[in-house]
Amino acid sequence: MLEVNSIDVAYGHAKVLHDVSIKLNQGEMVFVVGRNGAGKTTLLKTIAGFLKPTQGQISLEGQGISGLAPEQVARRGVRYVAQDKKVFSDLTVKGNIELAAYAAGEPLEQALARVMSLYPKFKDFLQNKAGGLSGGQREILLIGRALVGEPKLLLIDEPTEGLAAIVIQDIFRILSGMKETVSGIIVEQNLSVVSRLADRIYIMKEGKIERELTDPAEIKNTAELENYL
Amino acid sequence: MIDTILYGLTIGAILYIFSIGLSITFGTMQIVNFAHGMVYSLGVYLFISFLPWTLRIFPLAMALAIAAMLPVAYLIERFIIRRLYGESLDYAIIATYAVLLIGADLIKYIWGTAPQPVSDPIGVPLVVLGVVIQLYRVVVFLSAVVLFFALRIFFTRHVIGKIVVAALEDRDGVRALGLDVNKYFSIAFVIGSGLAVLGGVLYAPITTSEPYMGFHILLLAFAVVIVGGMGNLTGTFISAFVLGMVIAITGRVYSSAADTMVFVVMALVLLKNPIFSFVRRLRGRPAHG
Ligand SMILES: Nc1ncnc2c1ncn2[C@@H]1O[C@H](COP(=O)(O)OP(=O)(O)OP(=O)(O)O)[C@@H](O)[C@H]1O
Ligand SMILES: [Mg+2]
Repeated sequence: MLEVNSIDVAYGHAKVLHDVSIKLNQGEMVFVVGRNGAGKTTLLKTIAGFLKPTQGQISLEGQGISGLAPEQVARRGVRYVAQDKKVFSDLTVKGNIELAAYAAGEPLEQALARVMSLYPKFKDFLQNKAGGLSGGQREILLIGRALVGEPKLLLIDEPTEGLAAIVIQDIFRILSGMKETVSGIIVEQNLSVVSRLADRIYIMKEGKIERELTDPAEIKNTAELENYL
Repeated sequence: MIDTILYGLTIGAILYIFSIGLSITFGTMQIVNFAHGMVYSLGVYLFISFLPWTLRIFPLAMALAIAAMLPVAYLIERFIIRRLYGESLDYAIIATYAVLLIGADLIKYIWGTAPQPVSDPIGVPLVVLGVVIQLYRVVVFLSAVVLFFALRIFFTRHVIGKIVVAALEDRDGVRALGLDVNKYFSIAFVIGSGLAVLGGVLYAPITTSEPYMGFHILLLAFAVVIVGGMGNLTGTFISAFVLGMVIAITGRVYSSAADTMVFVVMALVLLKNPIFSFVRRLRGRPAHG
């Protein structure tokens, strides 16, 4: 469904992605791993439309999307959850969900039910400012917000980064619950999460795709994966 | 004393109404928008011209002047402000300053340089504790308070208001949901411009209008926005009244220092909350729109 075809991406004159190609089949959950600065965030941002490749193409269901603005990419069914866990902190939790519902044209009640099914505790703080949520709750709200409107493709950048083990369990449960219904590209450094959820893994190094792992035995072997980080 | 307080509240009200748009543009687009002063002064001159045609019905002439300036504001946003997003701060200052100068020249060309007085539309004096005050000034103050609550409701209840609030904080997050932030900033910009005209018209009977009136209020409004926090509408409300009182009280003691004191207060605020963070915020915007 998604094809990234030998793209180069630069920040000004500094080229950070070199000839990167990945692809995603319908219903797959693919993980991208790699050291800090490998270019994982840059790759997701480029697919989401926030950066333009200087070379190469990106296509979604056969249509080129690399020239589109981020909001246009989103309207074609792609949702990007950034690494910084930034919610709209001045709005309430409900307000955050409301904007997603408004943007996706989904009725508010349905959107609220969708997000609360991921995390029923939100019921108690729908009227609270989202700025008061914990890191884990923010991430769940962001993922929930992204699921509103039933997107085709989710791009999630390091969902468990900086979270306590118990909260990582919540995120893991949510991601595995989504596995059958959406396609996703997830950047993640927690290899136990990666090995339990990945259909395939791309390993990035210095702005290139270093390896692609498809063999389930290799994917399960976290000790082996460790070598790439 | 009462008249000094009322004067401070009146000036605070005008500064608040004018500064809202400036604060939103600072906060959303990170652009220093001098063109706001042009919208303000041209709007007031249109109002003055409309007055005789509307049988001197003040609110009607005011509504017409605001309506006339909305398309102008839209064009400024669409063809100048939006193109400056993500460009260097200096370009924004130069381009919008040019608009301000063109506005002043246009006014001189059409209406001449003579100051234009407008008479008090209510003209009812009140006696409070033995002091005569003008009812009109009370009305101006109350208008600002009503506006403050109306905007609060808009920004907390209406979905467009919420989008603007969200975009003030995380522009990319709003775009990632599939919303075209430019469209909402444009709406906010036009509302802010309409309010600048409203402020200018309300101020016209208290002062006299002249072609460079936009320059003067802009300087004061920048102080209001910096003291109140860019994009912080409650902060803008409070700082407008604080600075309005500073102007009124200083003016009573030593009138030529009134405006200077505003900048002394601004300097104190910046010293506490260093200017570097202000400049960094303006400079540290993304290179990609
Ligand atoms: N805005 C930017 N301007 C210039 N260079 C940047 C910018 N953002 C990232 N880079 C550089 O691009 C390279 C890739 O960064 P990127 O954020 O994509 O890495 P990452 O794999 O997501 O790292 P992390 O694990 O730390 O999140 C790094 O060398 C980084 O320094
Ligand atoms: Mg990253």
